[in-house]
Amino acid sequence: MSQSQQPKILILGTLSGGYAGADSTGQSHLDYPPNTYILPVMSPVMFPPEFYLRAFEHGMDGIIVMYSGTDSPYKVEADGTAKLINRAYQLMKERGMDIRRLRLAAICTVCVKPFLKEVNQMNDLLEGIGFVKDEIAAHASAIVTQEAAHG
Amino acid sequence: MDDLHMDALVIGGGIAGMQSALDLGDQGFQVALVERDPSIGGRMITLSKVFPTLDCCSCITTPKMSAVAHHPNIHLYTYCEIQSVQEHGAGFDVSILQKPRYVDISKCTGCRECEYECPITVPSPFDRNLGAYRAIRVPFSTAVPQKAVLDPEYCLWCGKCEQKCPVEAIDFSQQPETFTIEADSIIMATGFDLTPVSTKKEYGAGKLHNVIDPLMMERFLAPTGPYGRVLRPGDGKEPGSIAYVQCAGSRDETLGITYCSRVCCMYAIKQAMLLNGALPMADITIYYMDIRTFGKGYEQFYQNAKAMGVNFVRGKVASIREDADQNPILKVEMTDTGEIVEQTFDLVVLSQGIVPASHPTVSLPLGSDGFISVPAPDSAPCVTGRPGIFVTGTAAGPMDIVDSIVSASAAAAEASAYIRENGSRLEVEKEALYA
Amino acid sequence: MPENQQPRIGVYICHCGGNISGAVQCESVAKALKGLPNVTITRTDESMCSDAGQSLIEKDIQELGINRVVVGACAPMLHEQTFRGAVTRAGLNPFLYHHVGLREQDSWVHGHDKTAATDKALRLMSAGVAKARLLQPLDPIRLGAEKHALVIGGGVAGLRAALDIARQGLRVTLIEKSPFLGGRMAQLETVFPTEEEARALLHDLIQKVTAHPNVTIFMGAEVMGVSGYVGNFTIQVKQHSRGVSDDNAEALMSACTQEVPDPFNYGLTKRKVIYRPYEGCYSSTPAVDWDHYDGRPFDVNGWPIELKDEPKSFELNVGAVVVATGFDPYTPPQGEYGFGELPQVVTLPQLIRHLALSKDGKSLQWNGRAVRDVALIHCVGSRQVDGVHQPQEDGQVNNYCSRVCCTASLHMTADLHKRYPELNIYDLHQDIRTYGRGHEEYYRHALEDGVRFLRYNGEEVPEVSPAPQGDSHPVLVKVKDMLTYGEEIEIPVDLVVLAVGFMPRDLHGLDKMLKISRGNDRFLLEVHPKLRPVETAVKGVILAGSAQGPMNIQESLSAASAAAAKVASLLGRGKVELPPFVAAVDVEKCNGTGACVEACVYEGAIALQTFNENGEEVKRAVITPANCVGCGACVAVCPNNAVNVQGWTLAQYEAMVEAIGMDLPAMTEVTA
Ligand SMILES: Cc1cc2nc3c(=O)[nH]c(=O)nc-3n(C[C@H](O)[C@H](O)[C@H](O)COP(=O)(O)OP(=O)(O)OC[C@H]3O[C@@H](n4cnc5c(N)ncnc54)[C@H](O)[C@@H]3O)c2cc1C
Ligand SMILES: Cc1cc2nc3c(=O)[nH]c(=O)nc-3n(C[C@H](O)[C@H](O)[C@H](O)COP(=O)(O)OP(=O)(O)OC[C@H]3O[C@@H](n4cnc5c(N)ncnc54)[C@H](O)[C@@H]3O)c2cc1C
Ligand code: SF4
Repeated sequence: MSQSQQPKILILGTLSGGYAGADSTGQSHLDYPPNTYILPVMSPVMFPPEFYLRAFEHGMDGIIVMYSGTDSPYKVEADGTAKLINRAYQLMKERGMDIRRLRLAAICTVCVKPFLKEVNQMNDLLEGIGFVKDEIAAHASAIVTQEAAHG
Repeated sequence: MDDLHMDALVIGGGIAGMQSALDLGDQGFQVALVERDPSIGGRMITLSKVFPTLDCCSCITTPKMSAVAHHPNIHLYTYCEIQSVQEHGAGFDVSILQKPRYVDISKCTGCRECEYECPITVPSPFDRNLGAYRAIRVPFSTAVPQKAVLDPEYCLWCGKCEQKCPVEAIDFSQQPETFTIEADSIIMATGFDLTPVSTKKEYGAGKLHNVIDPLMMERFLAPTGPYGRVLRPGDGKEPGSIAYVQCAGSRDETLGITYCSRVCCMYAIKQAMLLNGALPMADITIYYMDIRTFGKGYEQFYQNAKAMGVNFVRGKVASIREDADQNPILKVEMTDTGEIVEQTFDLVVLSQGIVPASHPTVSLPLGSDGFISVPAPDSAPCVTGRPGIFVTGTAAGPMDIVDSIVSASAAAAEASAYIRENGSRLEVEKEALYA
Repeated sequence: MPENQQPRIGVYICHCGGNISGAVQCESVAKALKGLPNVTITRTDESMCSDAGQSLIEKDIQELGINRVVVGACAPMLHEQTFRGAVTRAGLNPFLYHHVGLREQDSWVHGHDKTAATDKALRLMSAGVAKARLLQPLDPIRLGAEKHALVIGGGVAGLRAALDIARQGLRVTLIEKSPFLGGRMAQLETVFPTEEEARALLHDLIQKVTAHPNVTIFMGAEVMGVSGYVGNFTIQVKQHSRGVSDDNAEALMSACTQEVPDPFNYGLTKRKVIYRPYEGCYSSTPAVDWDHYDGRPFDVNGWPIELKDEPKSFELNVGAVVVATGFDPYTPPQGEYGFGELPQVVTLPQLIRHLALSKDGKSLQWNGRAVRDVALIHCVGSRQVDGVHQPQEDGQVNNYCSRVCCTASLHMTADLHKRYPELNIYDLHQDIRTYGRGHEEYYRHALEDGVRFLRYNGEEVPEVSPAPQGDSHPVLVKVKDMLTYGEEIEIPVDLVVLAVGFMPRDLHGLDKMLKISRGNDRFLLEVHPKLRPVETAVKGVILAGSAQGPMNIQESLSAASAAAAKVASLLGRGKVELPPFVAAVDVEKCNGTGACVEACVYEGAIALQTFNENGEEVKRAVITPANCVGCGACVAVCPNNAVNVQGWTLAQYEAMVEAIGMDLPAMTEVTA
């Protein structure tokens, strides 16, 4: 099937933000790339940085965390999530991954346009930089080559 | 239909009515919420962002709307008109007219297939007639209930929607139906309209092309707005200079509206701040007599707007006319200099005030300002002149959202005490309330 | 219990009358899912939300022993509750249900590419199945709740809150710090906008409160400690002795010679240390002012009687707390507009008391002189500007508007004009904020009465100085008036009245005990300034009246009744039910790192406790569900994933992501 050949985008959308924003986009019947999988979350402040790494390993090529930011009903969400994502960036860098694969965006219940913009941007990016598994493999082989060179 | 004996009946499904219903429902009372429009949400759901937090308005209204829709103790009657209210013991018999939607709401899934099929375009009141929708449609994207409604005034009865509807929900044979609810108490939450300016000749009597009302500006600024940007309704051009005329239709003896409408200073400042973001190059001027930013956090909001570069000019706008290019020209008596100056703008917003919603359907004593009278505001701010009937939100006078919510909870407290003290439900049942 | 058995998952896909099936090949998705582990049955239906559709599910639960249900249909917002209801009716725990949005998030947005839409539906549904395998039955958090509330503060707001809570059939205890009820309202005479007598209104209210069988009142009492949480707070109260009884009060009062400035009259007069603040006060028994009583015995008929405060301490168990501690009028620092330096400068509350004390007389007298000209200055202690005004103790200026003073000022000018028509009144303001119903009338009347309005700029406040010797008036007020185009005007006056704003009362740590916060303006802070205006971030602690910010009587009453409605919703049933989506600790995995406790920003939600495990002292995290909001900040930081938000566990997310990422051939293989 065609989809298997497409990069995959995982979207973690808060019930009070991104997930509802995606529903609004649907109510307006506005098309966007179908290789997007939205999971509802209470608040993304629950995800440890390693979660994102494992998601990449499971074949998610891009991840957009659509949170509610400062409008969140949870007072830690805005700062807390940003901190966790920053740590995830570090882990990604260490593994030679393009950190643009992980995005944090504030999306509200009627943010139809920002929602579409985020999804399309990520899709364009992934079309350019390709599958995450290739990136991981390339990094692994680079390390092997490096080690071979050194030892 | 549901058990038609209710503890309370709330008239009007704006933010005030919804909050009263929720507070009563949460206490275990059975509540009927009767709304004249096809969806609840009132004015608030049409606003862009709310002062002073600048929260997205839909984001804070839709959760309330769905809480109402899903509440086990709240029975929602939309698209209904109150016909009469008669005393019955300590309670009331309320006769209600269900207007025909021409759609069977038990079948409709809100898929909007009918809407896409309908050939007739009609102006959408949700968008202050700036945008358009179809003669049959779901009223707006976050409407509650998510059910279509057909507008017989415009419908050609072509039958296309009927053929298209996947669940056979279209029913052209629907007739108005009357039913009665027996309720132990009533809360009036019928809300407001903008002060009419059609008689205000000095301001163009509503005929100038690029002079708009503030609810239109809310739609321009809303993320779900009709154009997705701010433009001049006259010619679609992006405005480079915008003026606000404060107290347009408030504190104005010539219109017979002498009171302050309380929200206009704040919404003008809010819109000015939002315009600052939407049109960063635009000049925004607010002509005012007094800036009344009295609420919690409001004065700071005002000071922020000043710091942002919004122009506050103390002056009385004497008249508005337009030039050959339909640019509005304001004639202003400047208080600070005493001069009379003329100033041309691309767009003018009349900061219209608040009057009671047009048709009071329950006969109640009114105050001299036309709002439902509250005989003892300093001891019982939600109690009307008719025992068992309470009033909340802008039905009791101009107020903003937060004051409406407080007053709604207060009305719920009054109503629940009244029900307990006078309610006709059996003692056993009353016990069950708190079982 | 079916839920503890191996998962037997029922999967249902709704056509939504073509809305979903128009883009998604529902039958193929159902067929593919059939092969997944634990999936017992898959079905499709034209309309799952219809009665027929719901019955399908109920029947399968009963006949096929389905113990986990996944429905793919419209947005969960619309029908999740419906299906939770259906599984409950069939005897299953409602949280063994999972809803997948296939309409708004798939068929409606990918209609042009049916293959892609079908592929997406399959992945989303298999993610749903993956989550369903890990679903656990959950129960709402049920906490017993005392049907008893505490109201702190016996001003108009606290009294009203107490009355309205009592009227909902709940018990209320009201504690008032001073020995008398009524708060600031008792210090007013007539009130805007009704022109009723403040103390008569209060008297009515107090009568209703004291007559209500559900109300208990402690005066001269304060809160010393708070523990517990919503439904079950324990409150430590200390009540001071009244010092006198009805029997000996009169004798002691006449024997008492020690006098102190009377706070009821804002220091304009003196009163004894055994006192009643005003005639008709409640309670009518006088009280001893322990803060000022010098301890010397009173001579009653030759007997020296020494009075002693013997405070009583006791505990209350309440389900909710209403904070109605009110406000203090702003006291200008020495020298602000000549206050404390010039005897002709008073505050508005002082003038109200002064007028009350000088009931008759043809002219207004002040400081032994007839007043001919009076200037009223607005916004004293309000709308202050950084750099212009002297900051408060915390380094901040009062940049808020006090909302009541404009109308109170014009209410005063009306009163002055009525009593002393000859008086010249100058009103110095920035904006006139008579916003309320019936308030604008005071402004209009003031204009009609000939009050002279002058407008100053917030950055250039008026100046008050003593007039040169021999001047006709003792004081000069200088103002740059924006109504006469910025002209510098000098007004010679006999009296300057400062319309002082509102300040929150000193709470002596009460806010800390209750764990509630204050805003930048130092007033108590609500949890959401728009949507939840009377609740605080602490469940069960609710605000009423001017403790939260400047309010007039009507607004204080509304806020108080609103607070009562919240209390009634919380406690009315004798139990508090909260959604189960809170953190839960797996004690097997927890090794007491405490990272979770550090990450949590909600007071009292998670804490380390010491347990004895096989004779060893170990630390484990313990959740107090009542205080947890379920944000999951603790989940992200736990190195062992020992803590999870119930219903939204990390393992469930990992399983869902894995399912989405699975190769479709692999998925269809299991199917084959
Ligand atoms: C331009 C503008 C901007 C604003 N911006 C803000 C802001 O940013 N922040 C803020 O706090 N406030 C704002 N406000 C004020 C805010 O809109 C009101 O405070 C709030 O909407 C009042 O709610 P309500 O429920 O009292 O009335 P409404 O919203 O008017 O609701 C009344 C409801 O009752 C229904 N109804 C009326 N009559 C009947 C009847 N006879 N039978 C059945 N139903 C009936 C109506 O259809 C309606 O749904 C603004 C106001 C304006 C005009
Ligand atoms: C000059 C002036 C004129 C006014 N005129 C009017 C008018 O004409 N009309 C109008 O509507 N409003 C008027 N107001 C406003 C009115 O006074 C207030 O709205 C009202 O008093 C607020 O009541 P409250 O119960 O919130 O606070 P308060 O009256 O301050 O009552 C708070 C009570 O709590 C008690 N308390 C404090 N801390 C504790 C504690 N830790 N433990 C126990 N008890 C505690 C206090 O002793 C007090 O009794 C005026 C205000 C001012 C300053
Ligand atoms: S109410 Fe009037 S006097 Fe009081 S702070 Fe506000 S503007 Fe100033």
